[in-house]
Amino acid sequence: MAHARISMYLPPDINPTQAAIAYGCRALPKLNEELRSEDLVTRQKALVALCGLMHDPEHVYVAIRIGCLESLKALLKDTNDMVRIKTTEVLYIMATHNVGRVGFLEHDIIHALSFLLNDPQSLCRKNLHLAFKHLAQLPTGAQGIVSSGLIPSLVWKLQREEEGVQELLLDTLAACLMEDATEALASRAVPFLKEKLLSTNGNIRSKAARMLIAISIPLEGKNQVWKHDVIPILVHLLRDKVAEVQANAAGALMYATATTEGKYAALDAEAIQPLLQLLSSSLSKARLNAIKALTMLAEAPEGRKLLQAHVPTFRALEKDAVAMQQGAQIAIKVIEWKP
Amino acid sequence: VVSALTDRAPPAMATYTYTSRPRVLPCQRRRYRDNLMQPAEEPIRYGNIMYDRRVIRGNTYALQTVPLHGQPDPAEIQRQQQAKRRAHAERRAQEQLRPRTPEPVEGRKHVDMQTELYLEEIADRVIEVDMECQTDAFLDRPPTPLFIPAKTGKDVATQILEGELFDFDLEVKPMLEVLVGKTIEQSLLEVMEEEELANLQASQYAFEELRSVELAEVQRLEEQERRHREEKERRKQQQWQVVHKHNETAQKIAARAFAQRYLADLLPSVFDSLRDGGYFYDPVERDIEIGFLPWLMNEVDKTMEYSIVGRTVLDMLVREVVEKRLSLYERKEDKRSPPKPEDRLSGPAGVRDPPVGYDVQDHGAAQAQSPLPDRAPPQRAPRDGGSVERASSQGRRLMEEEEEQVAVRKPLGREELFR
Repeated sequence: MAHARISMYLPPDINPTQAAIAYGCRALPKLNEELRSEDLVTRQKALVALCGLMHDPEHVYVAIRIGCLESLKALLKDTNDMVRIKTTEVLYIMATHNVGRVGFLEHDIIHALSFLLNDPQSLCRKNLHLAFKHLAQLPTGAQGIVSSGLIPSLVWKLQREEEGVQELLLDTLAACLMEDATEALASRAVPFLKEKLLSTNGNIRSKAARMLIAISIPLEGKNQVWKHDVIPILVHLLRDKVAEVQANAAGALMYATATTEGKYAALDAEAIQPLLQLLSSSLSKARLNAIKALTMLAEAPEGRKLLQAHVPTFRALEKDAVAMQQGAQIAIKVIEWKP
Repeated sequence: VVSALTDRAPPAMATYTYTSRPRVLPCQRRRYRDNLMQPAEEPIRYGNIMYDRRVIRGNTYALQTVPLHGQPDPAEIQRQQQAKRRAHAERRAQEQLRPRTPEPVEGRKHVDMQTELYLEEIADRVIEVDMECQTDAFLDRPPTPLFIPAKTGKDVATQILEGELFDFDLEVKPMLEVLVGKTIEQSLLEVMEEEELANLQASQYAFEELRSVELAEVQRLEEQERRHREEKERRKQQQWQVVHKHNETAQKIAARAFAQRYLADLLPSVFDSLRDGGYFYDPVERDIEIGFLPWLMNEVDKTMEYSIVGRTVLDMLVREVVEKRLSLYERKEDKRSPPKPEDRLSGPAGVRDPPVGYDVQDHGAAQAQSPLPDRAPPQRAPRDGGSVERASSQGRRLMEEEEEQVAVRKPLGREELFR
């Protein structure tokens, strides 16, 4: 039979670092009040509890509606490191949900977060960059980041941060540059990327190549890429061991060779051979990008001459997926065009 | 603590009495740590009087009373001193009676020695061992043990046999189903969510690829279009320039042809007009005309003048003679016949020289050109008459002028005749 004893010991699964979460709909308002309290311990415990709750998108929605973001913004300026780390963690978890992202844009969180770019705590910065990365997945989020003028500082940070954070930065910047690349081009992003392309970390190389794709979409980007002699490095990367790096490098070449100077630079760097090898790669992205890059190169007379010998390869590719088919047909058309 | 029985008035200084109700004496000794919480209802600890030192146990008749004050009684002091002295003397007497070892021989010394089996080290230093003593630390007051009242009532026992209450396996099934089902449902939901997210991401990725490929295609086409357009523009420009040049050349040729044709006439007409203007001349002819002919005419004039002068003189002579004769005749005629005009006419006519007959003819022709030929003879006659009459120098000058005029007119007339 059960004993009627009320034990003096606490139940075994209570987390002493977490504030008690009230029942039902009182949970979030109570946590919101605790966030504004004067006592440091209360604030920290409330933050930890909030971290746990924010995994549920419904809670995120309610939290934003009752104004948690304002208290979180105030906490970002707190002097205690733990508070800042936990606040950025909460914000990053909120940013993984779309409601959270929309709320960020409405409440101008980007501006408040930008003050923490130089924070001494590395964990704080890592969370901050994770939040930015998730925000940038949304097109309006990327637009918000661009319009808040953060791109130059982010590009500058690319030099200074450690590798893990650099990967996050590269992802964020790649998404933002798809929207608008002018600021990044003005802040010397291309030389930085050139160094990153030669890094030893495969992830960094692939993400740097991905960012180059985004940068070389506008005409100014293409010109800068050619001027800084990035094209030979890209051709060298086509033979990289990591398949993702090859695919992204082919994509960057595809855009950079749209201009005449780019075409001739690529032809000088003997890009056709590696691109032909990429046509048989396992990643469909690599194959598509390679076909497009070869099409670009085939516009130039020298390229056309070299590629006329390889038309059968393209015909064989026509049996692939729809996009590949179209690509192969367009390539053949360009190669066999007579003025 | 105030006695409740002291309301009776105490007797006048007979004996001291003190009564009080029996009460529990509190124990001052704390056994446990002061509880922070200090609930008010904590029982007052009381000591067991059986173990209280203040309570005198046993025989109370012959007790040593501790003097209350610090100052000792003088008799007491003396008695103590005596006792001390006695004890002292006794001890000394005892010592003297004790057998002692004899004094040592000269040059030797008694030394204490150990003769036991195991030697002991004897040192001045006293062996000290540190010992500690500590009162027990205050412990936490253990929780109050549960008060289990003594059992009252009757004991009744009952025994539940296997299978009488419920069948566990049967009963637990719905509960288990619900529990497990809910858990699995939740986990399935989560897994499906994750899968959905992964699918979304994969499709996003694929879309991204396609989009970038399409974008590249668009840019390539744009570029191509631009190049073609520029090429076209250039060619058009070239063509336009060619046509322009062509036009210009054609115009130039036309202009040149026209100019040539226009100017072709120019040269002859210029020459003609110049020639008409008299700018082209044969120098010899010119020389002749300018130099020779005037001189010739001059000479001719002079010669004519001479001849005319001669003739005039002759005329004057003849006139004088004739006048004289006339006057003679008149004088005579006054006496005889009328004058004869045809002599006069033929006279001056016939008197002129035959080479000058041509001149006369000319003169006559020239004068015939002048107004009314029927007046010529009468004009001639008065002219002649005039020439005869004005035989003075004045008449001669006039004549010379006339003759010059006639002479000037003559070369012109001669030229015209020549032409």
